[in-house]
Amino acid sequence: MQWVGVFLLVVVAVATVAGLYLYISGRSAATGRRIQNLESELATLHRQNNDLETRLGEIQSERALSERINSLNMRPLTPDEALYLEVPGYVPAEGPSFAPPPTIKEERTPILLPEFTSTFLEWISSKLQAGTQNSTPTSEVQP
Amino acid sequence: MSESIKTRFLAICVICTAVAIIVGIQMIRIQSAEAAQRLLDTSESYQGVTRVVYPDRGNIYDSKGRLLAGNETSYEIGLDLNSVTQPETVASIASSVLGLDYAQVLGYAQMTPGNGNPVYQVLDDFVSQDKIVELETIKADYDSRKAKGNEILPNIDGLLWTAHTQRTYPEGTLASNILGFYSYLDRTGGIGYFGLEEAYNSQLSGTPQEIYVAFDPQRLSTVEEVPPGVTLVLTLDREIQAMTEKKLDEAIEWSGAEGGTIIVYDPEDGGVISMATSPRLDPNNYWDYADLFPDPMPYNSAISKTYEPGSVFKVLTVAAALDSGLVDPDTRFQDTGAFNIGGTTIYNWNMGAWGDVDMTECLQYSLNVCMSWLSTEMGPDTFYTYLKNFGLDRKTGIDLGGESNWPLKLPGDSLWYEVDLATNSFGQGISLTPIQLVMAISSVANDGRMMAPHLVKAMVIDGQQYDVDPVVVGNPIKAETAHTLTEMLVNSLENEASNALVEGYTVAGKTGTGEIATPYGYSSSETNVSFVGWGPAEDPKFLVFVWLEKPSISIWGSEVAAPVFSELVSKLVVLMDIPPDSVRLAGSSTMTGQ
Repeated sequence: MQWVGVFLLVVVAVATVAGLYLYISGRSAATGRRIQNLESELATLHRQNNDLETRLGEIQSERALSERINSLNMRPLTPDEALYLEVPGYVPAEGPSFAPPPTIKEERTPILLPEFTSTFLEWISSKLQAGTQNSTPTSEVQP
Repeated sequence: MSESIKTRFLAICVICTAVAIIVGIQMIRIQSAEAAQRLLDTSESYQGVTRVVYPDRGNIYDSKGRLLAGNETSYEIGLDLNSVTQPETVASIASSVLGLDYAQVLGYAQMTPGNGNPVYQVLDDFVSQDKIVELETIKADYDSRKAKGNEILPNIDGLLWTAHTQRTYPEGTLASNILGFYSYLDRTGGIGYFGLEEAYNSQLSGTPQEIYVAFDPQRLSTVEEVPPGVTLVLTLDREIQAMTEKKLDEAIEWSGAEGGTIIVYDPEDGGVISMATSPRLDPNNYWDYADLFPDPMPYNSAISKTYEPGSVFKVLTVAAALDSGLVDPDTRFQDTGAFNIGGTTIYNWNMGAWGDVDMTECLQYSLNVCMSWLSTEMGPDTFYTYLKNFGLDRKTGIDLGGESNWPLKLPGDSLWYEVDLATNSFGQGISLTPIQLVMAISSVANDGRMMAPHLVKAMVIDGQQYDVDPVVVGNPIKAETAHTLTEMLVNSLENEASNALVEGYTVAGKTGTGEIATPYGYSSSETNVSFVGWGPAEDPKFLVFVWLEKPSISIWGSEVAAPVFSELVSKLVVLMDIPPDSVRLAGSSTMTGQ
């Protein structure tokens, strides 16, 4: 009778493992599909970004601007109509920068304390260093 | 537990174990069979696919960050033959919306996939987004309908549209001679032709990458993002380019010239601010190239077309004479109106004799005889050494595809004759591209320093911007010589009340009228007229080169090219925020235009 119980236990264990396996593999598959969808979405966003930039380029193109300028009865400035102002310290604008602006890394409370991330040797080393600093004698008082 | 139940449990255990063993053995048998390997191999193709991902081609911007070349979405239209249920509806919609041939699409839609027929049939490519919006609207309308009874609703199932990017040039023909074009209709093998698209083709294209896409969701993984091609930021200013092109077109029409070239150049760093030529192609429709540029017309005459420049070349001859110490501005020359060399007599442009003149007057009156005397006095060694130092024996190396040059004839060459020493001094018997001439003469406007002409100011690679440093390619003359010659040219323009003068600004420059070589000798009735000038004279910010081919209104550079220079510069100084002399020389350098 005992070995029958053992056999059933094994069957239950195997069934549990199989169930877990199915659950995990199902989640894995769903996540994989989600990744695929996100990649597709990313590609679409890239394309939309390109489209918007091109559209902006067309709207701001020299030809389009000229048409709008003409429709507003405007004309180019002549040299004798230009007024020049002296601006001390003025630095002319430089060309455009296409590099991303430098990002600021946030300083936040770590999710994992160093005790959980440092190795045993690093922990020993830090403790020894702390002990040495505490034992440094103070020879004189600062005025 | 009774014996019978025990027996039953035992029987179930035995049966289950036996079935498991049998299944196991069968699995091993099937998997180790020869056919199983073939099945495995076949199944590989169903597990995923290897795709080549082509990065987006890099954008091109002008110096102010305005887009000159970019990418936009266009679509491939195809038929999934397994999914088509209503071939007539599909053909009708494809015909009405996309303008495709109804009978042809119907033929495709009625095909049975397999047996030599494809599963997917491409119907059209590079379809605009407007058309796709129309198709989406129709599809949404069909999908929203509800069937009444046995009514069969229309559908366009099987008609697919797939997005991809397409090269686009939002400015149309503007600066097309500089940009070149990209053969985007060839989606896998497209390459750049001419201009920047050719010179930077590999950088703009980026590196295509092979990626494996698994069909099995469990084997899916993140695909590493393929970085786009390199983005280029140019020295070119779109507003100045547009103004230059407009001025060139007006000048060609006014003068009756066959063609022309105008270059606006920064002598301090060698950056090309604008470069206009004619004709110009719309690179969005690059297939018009053969019609617009019949052989042997070059795509960009500023870098590919050589011509005998005529008197603008005298700037270089006088520069060499001053720099070598042969003469100074006050050196006198007795012009008898003729100069004999190698059995040939050289005359002035009006066949006249100008008598006692100084070097400024030699330039002011553009005396061929004086120039011939200078080059002969220098001797061929000195004269041609200077020409080589000015870079006239080689291409400039400008970062545009399609640059060419004409070999500089040197003493000892079979085609060089003694008379060339004289004729070369006033720009005849020597052929140069406009960019060669601009690079050489820019050294006079830049303290004797000659910069490499270039278009690319910066590159953006993987989100990092790398500025391209200007390159000094030589110091053909001393700074003192450059200043002296600039002053001589300023005086010569002012003394003759040249058409090139610009009100409020001091400019230096020289006209040129080059006779055109024909199979029967030089033609005096057809000329190339040009003007090279720079300003403001005390601190040049621009150098402008104007060349008009065979104008009909006049054969003289002083009457055709010089006024074009003046009109262009009067607009240029506004666009470049350069105040007039009265303001600039009186105040500090911290000024801006309004």
